[in-house]
Amino acid sequence: MSRDRRQLLLMLTPYLVGLVVLVLLPAAATMAMAFTETDLIAGSRLVGWDNFVELTGDPAVRAAVGNSLSYLAVSVPLRLVLAVGLALLLHRRARAVGTARAAVLLPGAVPELAYGLLWLWLLNPIQGPVNQLLMLGGQGGRTMFGSLPPQWLTDPEDARAGIVLMSLFTIGETFVIVLTARLALPPEAYELAELEGAHAGQVLRRVTLPLLAPVLTVLVVRDTLLSLQASFVPTLVVTNGGPPPYATTYLSLVLYQDAFEYLRYGYAAAVAALMLALTAVAVLIQWRLLRRWASRGLVGGQARLPGN
Amino acid sequence: MTAGLSLHGVHLTRGAVTALRGVDLVVDRGELLVVLGPSGAGKSSLLRAIAGLDPVTGGTVKIGGRDVTGLRPGQRNVSMVFQSYSLLPHLTVADNIAFGHRIRGADRRAAAARAAQAAATVGCQDLLTRRPHQLSGGERQRVALARVLVREPDVFLLDEPLANLDAGLRTRMRTEIRAVHDRLGATTVYVTHDQSEAMALGDRIAVLRDGRIEQVDTPDEVWHRPRTRHVASFVGAPGMNLLPGDGPLRLPGVQASAVELGVRPEHVRLGGDGTTRDGPPGDVERVEVLGEDALVHVRLGGHALIARVPARTRPAPGDRVTVGVAEEHLHAFDLVTGERIPLPAGAGRAAAR
Repeated sequence: MSRDRRQLLLMLTPYLVGLVVLVLLPAAATMAMAFTETDLIAGSRLVGWDNFVELTGDPAVRAAVGNSLSYLAVSVPLRLVLAVGLALLLHRRARAVGTARAAVLLPGAVPELAYGLLWLWLLNPIQGPVNQLLMLGGQGGRTMFGSLPPQWLTDPEDARAGIVLMSLFTIGETFVIVLTARLALPPEAYELAELEGAHAGQVLRRVTLPLLAPVLTVLVVRDTLLSLQASFVPTLVVTNGGPPPYATTYLSLVLYQDAFEYLRYGYAAAVAALMLALTAVAVLIQWRLLRRWASRGLVGGQARLPGN
Repeated sequence: MTAGLSLHGVHLTRGAVTALRGVDLVVDRGELLVVLGPSGAGKSSLLRAIAGLDPVTGGTVKIGGRDVTGLRPGQRNVSMVFQSYSLLPHLTVADNIAFGHRIRGADRRAAAARAAQAAATVGCQDLLTRRPHQLSGGERQRVALARVLVREPDVFLLDEPLANLDAGLRTRMRTEIRAVHDRLGATTVYVTHDQSEAMALGDRIAVLRDGRIEQVDTPDEVWHRPRTRHVASFVGAPGMNLLPGDGPLRLPGVQASAVELGVRPEHVRLGGDGTTRDGPPGDVERVEVLGEDALVHVRLGGHALIARVPARTRPAPGDRVTVGVAEEHLHAFDLVTGERIPLPAGAGRAAAR
């Protein structure tokens, strides 16, 4: 082995050790545990596929799978559209752009638990600022749109919308990545469009979005991976999975409750395995779609212009 | 006949930088005008002012008699080739060429047909289905050219389109560009810092320096009668030798202390061992052989001078040589303004003290 390679390996070692000891081994242990009944008191015993069979009939798990998937389908696209929109809005140098960028980043810097508690107040149906805002100019306890104010904590639909609403403000990382990618796009591409008299919509559709597509692809996959877990703290703190029985019960919450409230570690491990499988399937479907689009030239290619 | 393009007193200031300081320029319809100048002279700014990418801070720009000074780039009907080619990586060659047509609302099939036609004009019809990253530098360049040919703009603008190509390809492409221009007869402004490109391509050359135009003339005129000392020293490889009027070379009929004398390296004759009466003696300091020719650096009475001589007859470093310059090959420039001074007619031999 050459000196350089040995040095590289040496520098990589701490990370590799961490990865194996803290991630891969626990993950393997969890997968093994999914075939046992473990409560950390009476020891564990092998139960084969029993946990998985029970999963299929568990109403909490069934509700959670549906909730998690619909959360993915709504939250991921909305977050991306919002982040891209803000990045394109704030990529130019102008007055107060720095402040605005900071404002987009800030909610992501709030500790998750504090963020959850904050929303508990924001979403309070009577004193909460969100509903206060909605009821501005409304008549007789109705909102400005004439509808009854949303019952964020007690109505199942409103509660799910509330969880999505909470997720729309923590887009700082996606925003920064899109902003950077946009700033790296070659100005000539825009001047070319300008010379042809392209209007803003055409520039967006024919220049900006296609050139950003490779970055957006990665962001969609990444956000999907994170979203299944990101729904955990808000639901634990704000809705506790309710309104009953399972309106905002997501897989991450089921996993937590089974493990740390009911002390059914084996069963919780089986839920984790289900989450992993769902994530893998979601990413695989996206990957397939993107591959197909790329082969038709809709996405992909190099973000940089060739030449120079 | 109205001019294809005319600029009157065009000023361009970007931030603290003044790029153009009162440019007057008239390009005839169908003419290929080359803008030549060192980097930082304002060549690209001139193109961008014509295209409208940078709004001018003074003066007017007219295209085909139409005042376009206040119009946006898309309303000026100009096409531009960028130095970096600026091909869109997500589009095939055909779609890249058709880009402008599609933006302007042409339907897919019509645009594709025009793209294929334009591609054939510059010889890249075999590349239509490829993507930019699959192309070589020369191929990208052709595609970029095809893209401006696909429309029929009033003015073509080319910003150093050959700068990223290797030397051989550059020579070939410039011949092709000239051929395409001759076929289409479109008003063209071509920016380059490469004077051989300018000489080979241009109907006329506009020499730009420091945001001002120093001379607009045919390549012959620019070579034989440079209007300023800057043009004289910039054009030519190497440029014209410039010596004080009261130095080793003399020209009767001009005030020696108020002029600078110029002579092209090609017109300096080195002879004998420095003892003949053909001219003053000089010492050979350095010799660079460029194939057929050699550049001989001579120290002549305290001044440096370069002579281009056939490599076969070159002297060796350390030799003493006679430096001979025919009077008709001498140029005189005003020491203060740098402007050319018309020479008195009828002259004999110069340079003999």
